[in-house]
Amino acid sequence: MRNGTRTDSKFEKSLYDLIRGLRNHKGNEKEYIQNCLKECRSEIRSQDMDLKATALLKLVYLEMVGHDMSWASFHVLEVMSSQKYHQKRVGYLAAVQSFRPDTDVLMMATNLLKKDVAASLPTIIALPIAALPHIVTPSLAMSLLGDLLPRLGHSHAAIRKKTVVTLYRLALVYPEALRASWPKIKERLMDPEEDSSVTAAIVNVVCELGWRRPHDFLPLAPRLFELLVDGGNNWMAIKLIKLFATLTPLEPRLVRKLLPPLTNLIRTTPAMSLLYECINGIIQGGILGDGEDFSAREEVASLCVTKLRGMVSANSDPNLKYVALLAFNRIVVTHPFLVAQQEDVILECIDSEDITIRIKALDLVQGMVSSDNLVSIVSRLMRQLKASSAALSQQQNGLEGQDPETDSSDEASADPRRRRKTLEPAPPLPDDYTVDVIGRILRMCSQDNYANMADFDWYLDVLTQLVRIAPAPRAKDLDADLSAPKLAGDVSEKIGNELRNVAVKVKAIRAAAVRAAELAVSRMNSEISPTRPVVSGALKPVAWIVGEYAFQLLSPDDTLRHLLDLVPRVEYSEGLATCLQAVLKLFAYVAGDDQALWTPERKSSVTLLMARVIHVLEPFALHPYLEVQERAVEFIELLKLTAEAAAGQAPSTDEVQQDPPLLLTQAIPSLFTGWELNSVAAGTQQNVPIPDDLDLDEPIHPDLNRLLSQADSLMLPTQGDDEFEAYYNQKPAATSMASEPAINRLLDAPEEVATSSYQQSEESYLDPDIIARRKAERQERYRDDPFYIPESTASGGRSTPIHTILQKENGPDLDIDSIPIMQLDLNLSGRASPAERQQPPPKPKPRQRIIVAADETLGFGGSGGGSGLSTPRAYDSENNNSDTLAKKSRSAATTAAAARRLKQQSLLQFTSTHINDLALEETGGGKGEGGSGDSGFTHERQQREEAEMALALKEVQRLRLEMQRANERIQVAQGVPVEGVVVRRKKKGTGTGLRGRRLRRVTKKKVGVEGEEGGPVGEGEGVVKAKKKKVKRVVKLDEGEGGAAAPAEGE
Amino acid sequence: MINAFLVFNGQGQPRLTKFYTQLDTSIQQRLISEIFTLVSNRPPGSCNFLPLPPLLAASSTSNTSSSAQEQNDVPSLVTYRNYATLYFIVISTSTESPLALIDLIQVYVEALDRLFENVCELDLIFNYETLHATLGEMVVGGVVIETNMERIVAGVRAQGTVAKRPVNEGRTGGGLGGSLGAGLGMGGMVWHGR
Repeated sequence: MRNGTRTDSKFEKSLYDLIRGLRNHKGNEKEYIQNCLKECRSEIRSQDMDLKATALLKLVYLEMVGHDMSWASFHVLEVMSSQKYHQKRVGYLAAVQSFRPDTDVLMMATNLLKKDVAASLPTIIALPIAALPHIVTPSLAMSLLGDLLPRLGHSHAAIRKKTVVTLYRLALVYPEALRASWPKIKERLMDPEEDSSVTAAIVNVVCELGWRRPHDFLPLAPRLFELLVDGGNNWMAIKLIKLFATLTPLEPRLVRKLLPPLTNLIRTTPAMSLLYECINGIIQGGILGDGEDFSAREEVASLCVTKLRGMVSANSDPNLKYVALLAFNRIVVTHPFLVAQQEDVILECIDSEDITIRIKALDLVQGMVSSDNLVSIVSRLMRQLKASSAALSQQQNGLEGQDPETDSSDEASADPRRRRKTLEPAPPLPDDYTVDVIGRILRMCSQDNYANMADFDWYLDVLTQLVRIAPAPRAKDLDADLSAPKLAGDVSEKIGNELRNVAVKVKAIRAAAVRAAELAVSRMNSEISPTRPVVSGALKPVAWIVGEYAFQLLSPDDTLRHLLDLVPRVEYSEGLATCLQAVLKLFAYVAGDDQALWTPERKSSVTLLMARVIHVLEPFALHPYLEVQERAVEFIELLKLTAEAAAGQAPSTDEVQQDPPLLLTQAIPSLFTGWELNSVAAGTQQNVPIPDDLDLDEPIHPDLNRLLSQADSLMLPTQGDDEFEAYYNQKPAATSMASEPAINRLLDAPEEVATSSYQQSEESYLDPDIIARRKAERQERYRDDPFYIPESTASGGRSTPIHTILQKENGPDLDIDSIPIMQLDLNLSGRASPAERQQPPPKPKPRQRIIVAADETLGFGGSGGGSGLSTPRAYDSENNNSDTLAKKSRSAATTAAAARRLKQQSLLQFTSTHINDLALEETGGGKGEGGSGDSGFTHERQQREEAEMALALKEVQRLRLEMQRANERIQVAQGVPVEGVVVRRKKKGTGTGLRGRRLRRVTKKKVGVEGEEGGPVGEGEGVVKAKKKKVKRVVKLDEGEGGAAAPAEGE
Repeated sequence: MINAFLVFNGQGQPRLTKFYTQLDTSIQQRLISEIFTLVSNRPPGSCNFLPLPPLLAASSTSNTSSSAQEQNDVPSLVTYRNYATLYFIVISTSTESPLALIDLIQVYVEALDRLFENVCELDLIFNYETLHATLGEMVVGGVVIETNMERIVAGVRAQGTVAKRPVNEGRTGGGLGGSLGAGLGMGGMVWHGR
């Protein structure tokens, strides 16, 4: 088999062979690996230790590539216990790489670890010490602490420094370890003769401990200061500075001592990392803060901030840019004004190519938003998003030309590199980033109940644009396990929710918000091809708006039609439930006019409409989601009743005036009108008192069953659905005013290029149709303004003499210059400028006086003023005003999920909560070592107990020996051959199994010697018993113990 | 503290994985592939720090309500460096110095270069035990214990001889053999911490 380089006459693969084989099996690696794993499985069971270790090494390699080896944990222990160093090392490596919190063989390793920690060779000692941090548990830490402590005094510096760190990791899970080891560690730290790398390791550990319990380390300050001044090790100096940054707030006097060396370092060090940490430390440690020596500090402050500013500014090294932003992010907590001064350079970073830098800059910017810079910040972000989505859609168009079935959402994340290739200048952003940025935009805008929002019209346009940009949720690849809650799905819903919040809260702008929603619905209908499902989460809030404020729609009929087209394609149930409600609200508005006459035309159109609605609703009567099912059934029945009534009502003729059926004009509309809905603060719903006389057990109707059985017989004959559907489908689509003119689409691409110079103008991030609407609104606003010269409409309203002359000369057919004029019209800035020039104040737009309704609350001190407190997080707390049922269940689910997440440890996090409760009791300087005598230390107590136990064991053994001898004497006296007993015992002893041992004990009991003896030994074996199957090998591992027990019996 | 130290090549194949907290193999792999996606999409001239991969971002945002202290325990910094065909990644908490971590990676690579004499990816593939040993001399349990090159190299050598690459796997074989030495030329970067 293969060219077995190291295989001596055996047929197994070495690690080399495995890797080489992997490289030779390109293409069918999976199969090859499966074969290898199979081989390893048998090899690792071999008695040959070399073979076992090699198999383990291969498994560790395969584990790195992603093949689970948890099944081999017992074999890991076997190899760990090998006598040969190179095998032992493989075993320890395997333990480090493959042991997980649920690895149950770990408790069998305790003795082995103890033995190896106590070994004489430093290379062997290092193995358990380095492995312990990976596998440590509180109980393991407890039993190994006593063995590790002496290693702090080992003659090799390498062992000492590793031990220090391991003790720290032990302390994270078992804080007592720190209490016991701290005096010794401190002694090492204080020792000027100590090896410099051990000192550095201790400083690292102290720095990690420092931020958890800074008070305990204040007494060390003089020594730490000494190390900082003449340390010479940059890594250690960085850690010391970080440590001092946590100490100075507790001891302000340190500041004066620290400033000279720090400023000295700043001026002299050639290491950028140290320079940066000095600056960072000065700022973070509050050294910039106010104090008596003001001028000196002022100097330092300006020195630091200018250095940081230099790092952030345009042409500096990207790494410095990043760390400077990181520093600003920390400073902003304590010194916001210092950061605010750097707004200009920070804003530049938002447009950086590098996403890491962008995100850090965004973190900062979010805290710096004010009503003055909101628009400019959001504009920057919108431009990025627009460019990215344009790049994406361009490419999709290209792709869709060849393959119309390509799923856009899939490839968005699947192949980023291909996307980049197609479009150099603006590579599409990753979805996660897009989602993140959209979330930030919404948060910035809605902060403090829209405190920074000056122009809601603009905000509505931004929202409309965002709905289009938002990435489609990745429906399929959301595996439920660890991944974040469905990010993308949420984001478009968030945008929609914002739209709805504005519609509900800002009455002045409601009409515009409703039109934006109307536009969104019609666009969703026209953009998404009829075969594709609707997945945008924005539909739910948007549908709610058009339903609730139907009277403000421009074209309720069209909207209803769009909605009816959309409903069958909606995939997520919550959105569907809202849509159904909206459909009926719209229907009530469209059909329920009680002023209009009941003409034959009206009768037939209303009948058709009802049939259509019923047809759409009917499939949902069996929907699995109860909310949808319930609404569908209710509305179907209601509409059937109404249809009956309408059919029975003869239309009015010229002679007889007929009223429309009351069910249509009164009953249905009254279901939805009445109270205006206001936004309610989060949690208020729960404060609604339950009425005293509410009895939920009381039947709704005394004779419900009879009513229900009657209802069954009351079925309407279903009409020919196909006929109506055909009618609606064949009807030429009415030209919706909302749909985008084709010319805009044509001009899209060139405009992108042209507008790159208008950095601040809106067309760089808003779609052409939105801009067109804005323009129209502006015209409307200025129509009565005498200073504003309105533009000629396409039909030719304004006519300058020259124009008429030209037109006369050339005739209508030869109107050549009309084409360039048309194009010029599309340029907004050119058009807007005369208007702005003639506006007396230079201000672009007077700030609107807009009242933003606060959330309604109940309880909580009663006053409405409380809303100010509850609304800062309006962004999270919205959408509890509609669909309370759906919302309630949803919010319950999300809070439960949040709670679960909080409980669950975050990935890769170190557990250290316990250590925070531990006080090192460093009060008296001299108490350092004396403290160890304190009886409260469990470690010491444990040691004492162990000693006592050992004494007791000795005593027991002595007694046992005595009694055994006495017994033998008796037997000899009675003539029983001594040999017989001995031989029997030996047999059992060689059995090496647990059975042998247990039998042995039984015989002893028979002899009637010791009840007590069973105690300690039995305990040791109890552990083993738990793993009955593996017992044989375990005993081999426990050689140490067995060896100790053997001589006792041998006698 | 350092949460993880990873090495993978330009195709995302891991060459060294070291997690200082216990983590399921499948999640390890997912994290690696997420980081690889991030790292392989960096425009030229970007900084050596990555945004948090979704797996880590999700867990750190869920903890926003917790105290600032606990934030110090959560991985928040992903530093990487690219040498020839290999990416070296360090995931760490905010208590580490970002620029110093860049230096740390440099020390690690230089130490490997010293041990293997002109190290290349093949050396690392076939001697991944040495990779672990070298890292073990620099970082124990997520805490840096040594940054001095001489001591690191001496520490590894004390554990036994460092194997050479197999003779018949020459640098020409497999096309992966681009020497990392070229990457070491990056020593001329602005900061040089040690």
